[in-house]
Amino acid sequence: MAIRNGTRAGLIFGFIMVFLILIGVPETINVILQEATTNIDVETGQVINTAAFLFVMGVVAGFAAARKEEPDPLSGAVLSGLIAGLITGATTGLMIIILRSLALSEIDLREYLDKLSPTAIESLALRLSPILAGGAHVLIFALSGATGGLLNWIGRGPWRGPVGQMISNTRDRLARLPIVAQAQNSPITRYVVWAAVIAVVMIVPQFLNDYWSFVLGTVGIYVIMGLGLNIVVGMAGLLDLGNVAFFAVGAYTVGLLTAPEPVGVLWDFWTALIFGIVLAGLAGVILGVPVLRLRGDYLAIVTLGLGEIIRILIRSDLLKDFTGGPRGVRDISGPSLFGLEIGSERTFLYFILVGIFLLIFVTIRLKNSRVGRAWIAMREDETVAQAMGINTLNYKLLAFGMGAAFAGLGGVLFASRNQFTGPEDHTLLVSINVLAVVIVGGMNSIPGVILGAFALKGLPEILRQLDEYRVLVFGGLLVVMMILRPEGLWPSQRTRLQFSDEDEPVPIELSSATSAAPTPIKADVEEQKQAATR
Amino acid sequence: MAVETQTAPRGLRRRRIRPYQVVQIVVAVSITAFLLYRLQYVLFVDDLYGLDTWTRFLISGLVIGAVYAVIAIGYTLVYGILFMINFAHGEVMMLGAFAAYFVFEALGAIPAGAETSFLNTYPIISIILAFIAGMSVSTGMGLLLERVAYRPLRGGPRLVALISAIGASLFLQNAAQLMFSPRRRAFANPDFLSRGAGFEVMISGRPVLITYTGTFVFVGSLLLLALLYFIIQRTRFGQAVRAIAEDQEAAALMGINVDRVIAQTFALSGAMAGAAGVMWGLHNGIVYHFIGFLPGLKAFTAAVLGGIGNIPGAMVGGLVLGVVEALGPAFLGLDFQLKDVIAFSILVLVLVFRPSGILGEVVAEEKV
Repeated sequence: MAIRNGTRAGLIFGFIMVFLILIGVPETINVILQEATTNIDVETGQVINTAAFLFVMGVVAGFAAARKEEPDPLSGAVLSGLIAGLITGATTGLMIIILRSLALSEIDLREYLDKLSPTAIESLALRLSPILAGGAHVLIFALSGATGGLLNWIGRGPWRGPVGQMISNTRDRLARLPIVAQAQNSPITRYVVWAAVIAVVMIVPQFLNDYWSFVLGTVGIYVIMGLGLNIVVGMAGLLDLGNVAFFAVGAYTVGLLTAPEPVGVLWDFWTALIFGIVLAGLAGVILGVPVLRLRGDYLAIVTLGLGEIIRILIRSDLLKDFTGGPRGVRDISGPSLFGLEIGSERTFLYFILVGIFLLIFVTIRLKNSRVGRAWIAMREDETVAQAMGINTLNYKLLAFGMGAAFAGLGGVLFASRNQFTGPEDHTLLVSINVLAVVIVGGMNSIPGVILGAFALKGLPEILRQLDEYRVLVFGGLLVVMMILRPEGLWPSQRTRLQFSDEDEPVPIELSSATSAAPTPIKADVEEQKQAATR
Repeated sequence: MAVETQTAPRGLRRRRIRPYQVVQIVVAVSITAFLLYRLQYVLFVDDLYGLDTWTRFLISGLVIGAVYAVIAIGYTLVYGILFMINFAHGEVMMLGAFAAYFVFEALGAIPAGAETSFLNTYPIISIILAFIAGMSVSTGMGLLLERVAYRPLRGGPRLVALISAIGASLFLQNAAQLMFSPRRRAFANPDFLSRGAGFEVMISGRPVLITYTGTFVFVGSLLLLALLYFIIQRTRFGQAVRAIAEDQEAAALMGINVDRVIAQTFALSGAMAGAAGVMWGLHNGIVYHFIGFLPGLKAFTAAVLGGIGNIPGAMVGGLVLGVVEALGPAFLGLDFQLKDVIAFSILVLVLVFRPSGILGEVVAEEKV
């Protein structure tokens, strides 16, 4: 058993390691660590950092290998970890022997494999000769794999149960205290919490410099677009991949109405803002009429196509006189309030924040209204919703239009903050980013959207060196989230209840005590499966 | 989808025309009118392009369309049995093209005889090797995708699988970009298949070039399509695939290993994508991380156009789309930049007017 688990994990991790080396992750981490630790000289740093990275990966491999072991024996866990480590090490070792030999005979691999620069190979080989480097890899991975197995065994050790019990007990007891329950239900608490949140959010920008204000502004714009897409995807259950089309409508409306070129009407920002939102919403409704009859996945592809059509049209020579073609629109004016110019990044951030609060308010009111309930009913089962007298097409159009209007607002803010908009601002990636924000955060959950925007647009700014891996991570994250946590990081109350095990119907007692559980109905089985996989 | 009007008993059906139908009719009439206007314009008023140019467009459309057809088969196969859009299919094709590129580069570097490389001394073997490499990489990729990104989600909501597929597509695209750098690489064909060489045919007094690569790709695609049709219609595996497409549970009860057949379907669709990728590289001569995306979308359009889930449909849809896309800009008097807009517009129009596609059966709501 241990041998099989170990081999399996070893092969998988060997494959992952080869992939990571090919996309240059070890070298990037090496660079980051070297910047963090300035007092070590470069060559020693190279070796230490790489060894540390390999060790960590080995621990993960060993841990994963031991996870499938029988609950008890220590030997099995360590053995499977060791085998996993050995096999991973053998794989990377073999790769490193080849790479190092090639590099030593002065063959530049970068012609074909971009990330395998001589320095990257040098640090991967720990500055050793090919054979020694291969041996070192096997050794490091074997050690760390065994450590991982050991850690896994310790992790599932006997102390874990009582402690976890204590924590959850305390939480339960706290929740049962009358004062807490009262506070939870009272509207006053809600107001206090909201006031505190608003106060904190309004004070924080005072401590930020221009750069971070700009970053937070971007996060804020994605929150706005995420809130919009959340209505479409989260509430109404329509997968829309063409959000960028409406973003573009908003951006170009404000651009064309306030910039001196190419139209040159030079309207006031606020008029343009309203026009941008209304036009984007209208565009949503107009484009929605033909496509909203389609089923979920067709809808996704068609909206994606629409987004691409808009981008191609903006770029094309056909509309060049109107949109500026590939050059884009320059000198878009910013907002001013009572003669006060909103120019600096910080004031603009405040402006965005006000917008976010307004939209959160709108979303919450919508969610709890007849409209919101209709959307949710429609998402859960369209046929039943129709039978209940919901005019699904109208509600779909409303959702689509609202989502489009929010995206339009996002576009207006984005364009006027950058004072520029061009076709390259409106690629498919925008739609995918927004979708990722909604899904990673948690569908139909407002805090989820905010969290998602921070995680996906804010974190990459902190780790700038990892910027080139951002889209890769997005893609991977979408897959992993769907498999492990389809409800998102911060799911809404409704989704959480849907996915939690506690609320399963109490099994009906069968006559024989040995038969484990009554056969649940099919839908339940699927839910349980999903719950079990996380 | 006008399902409810079709399933309602005749007597109960209300003859009132809905607003949506009005929109449909108006759009249909105006599009037809515009097309007729353009037809008479092109035929009688302004012959900007001679017959030779139209032939050139047609040829390039047929070649590209044949490749679309091969890619579209992959979408249709998977959709047929899982009702899932394998969004990463275009990326699988791109990886196949890369594999063939590397094979050609490697063989081009091996010397054979005086002043020539293995690639040019044994071109047939080289091309076969490239196809083997491209198809095996793509087959492996198809299997891996199914195992990692789709199988854990089977049986869940369909949106979940689609999002996972989009994620996988982004992942593969960027992985290729990181590994191979975003540079566009020239695909080194063997000399006898070099691009730009071909037969010349005289049409209305001017020479029209039919390139060797184009001929090769067109014939190769037709052979692959025939092979696939044979596999699906005549082998036990094909029978299993069709059985699962018909009714998964019943197929399982008949002793078909559903998991295995689904994995094999992904492998087959991957192999098709790989072959398409190799042909794409041979014909267009450029390979980089983004080449899978647009052909993937277009091939999906082709699959929908022909009737998704329907194998002859995908073939017809691919050829039709390729030709329409090639003739469209000139016919409509548009810029050639707007070629992609035509393809997407076709997708939207087909889904609005005839979601079942050209050859597709009208399927009931539960089944799709």
